[in-house]
Amino acid sequence: MYRMEYLRSMINDLLTFLNRFIKVSGEEFAELIAWTEPCQFAKKTLLTKPGDVEVHMYFITSGLVRKYFLKKDQEIITHIVKEGGILGAGESFLTGEPSKYFVETLEPTTAFAISKQKVEEMYRSSKKWEKLGRIMTTQYFLVQEMRLMDNIRYSTRERFVKFMKENTDLIQRVPQKYLASYLNIKPETFSRLKHLMNAK
Amino acid sequence: MTNLIDINPSLIEYAHRYLQRFMTITMDELKMLLSYCEMRQVEKRTILVKEGEVDNYLNMVVKGLVMKYVRVKKSDMILQLATEGHVIHSEISFLTRSPSLVFVETLEPTIMVSLTYDKMEEALDKFPQGERLGRLILTGMYVKKEESRYYRLLRSPRERFLDYINAHPHMLQRVPQKYLASYLNIKPETFSRMKHLVAKQ
Repeated sequence: MYRMEYLRSMINDLLTFLNRFIKVSGEEFAELIAWTEPCQFAKKTLLTKPGDVEVHMYFITSGLVRKYFLKKDQEIITHIVKEGGILGAGESFLTGEPSKYFVETLEPTTAFAISKQKVEEMYRSSKKWEKLGRIMTTQYFLVQEMRLMDNIRYSTRERFVKFMKENTDLIQRVPQKYLASYLNIKPETFSRLKHLMNAK
Repeated sequence: MTNLIDINPSLIEYAHRYLQRFMTITMDELKMLLSYCEMRQVEKRTILVKEGEVDNYLNMVVKGLVMKYVRVKKSDMILQLATEGHVIHSEISFLTRSPSLVFVETLEPTIMVSLTYDKMEEALDKFPQGERLGRLILTGMYVKKEESRYYRLLRSPRERFLDYINAHPHMLQRVPQKYLASYLNIKPETFSRMKHLVAKQ
């Protein structure tokens, strides 16, 4: 199903990611890979919908995934994650409660999925993996907190400029209305800011 | 440090209740965990952390009231109000050892159990199941934040006000109105008007 070299490059991405947080031996890494499942999805695949209990978290090796909920009939996007990031309906995964969110691919996507059951087995198997779990949870928490602080501390314009500087690739890859929702900026304002930026 | 427990029996109760939410903790384990902590007692209006300082403590309120806020263009926005049994600190600063973006300040005379970053590291390593407990506490913090963000985005000011006041009726007496309004992200005038509506019920 997967070309070997492609799988190898996916594995390398995962190792690079892990090395940011914890040192793992070759043997430990092989053990970790065995807990996960490589998977691929077409564009616009719904991975999770409200009412589902999330059983997977995805480490994305290529592609783009968004997470959103509905406020009346308006989509509110809370996450847009590209290769190198982790996504899933995190709170449902962690609590076992039904998700309030949709998780959907925006591009053809490849990922390593890890199931709730495997994560639990992994934690039980060694203190090392329990530690990785703690570090990853901390990381997930910090990303959420920092984003919240950015939303509070920066004006609409500042948020727009900061995002555009840090994510030049996403401007091409993500429909503008999604970016506007993610940044909590009105679509008209988003357009105006984009024109202003281009005019410079 | 070991007589921390003798000083205040309610400390045991709050700490035990808090930790039981995550895993089963025996009295001996609880005593061991508390041996990593210290008790701090401060006056009202004590600033525990200023913007720009690295927060070295994770605190659980045993008695009193502590708020966390961020200064945005000279006005303060309240992010958290912590009472008995709640945990409060500058999370990003504490976890990443970076200058705090927020202030943490007491609103009432406060007694808290505090854990320094170094002691936390020690406990994670030495306490049996320390990593597990650490992970579960962080998971709890994450889920709680995510939930409050979701409802903040989803609910109207009126719904936010009614939900909060119904769940925490005593806070109207304990916290200045302008702080509650800021915490709920409601304009002070609107908050005042809503308060009168509730009083008529």
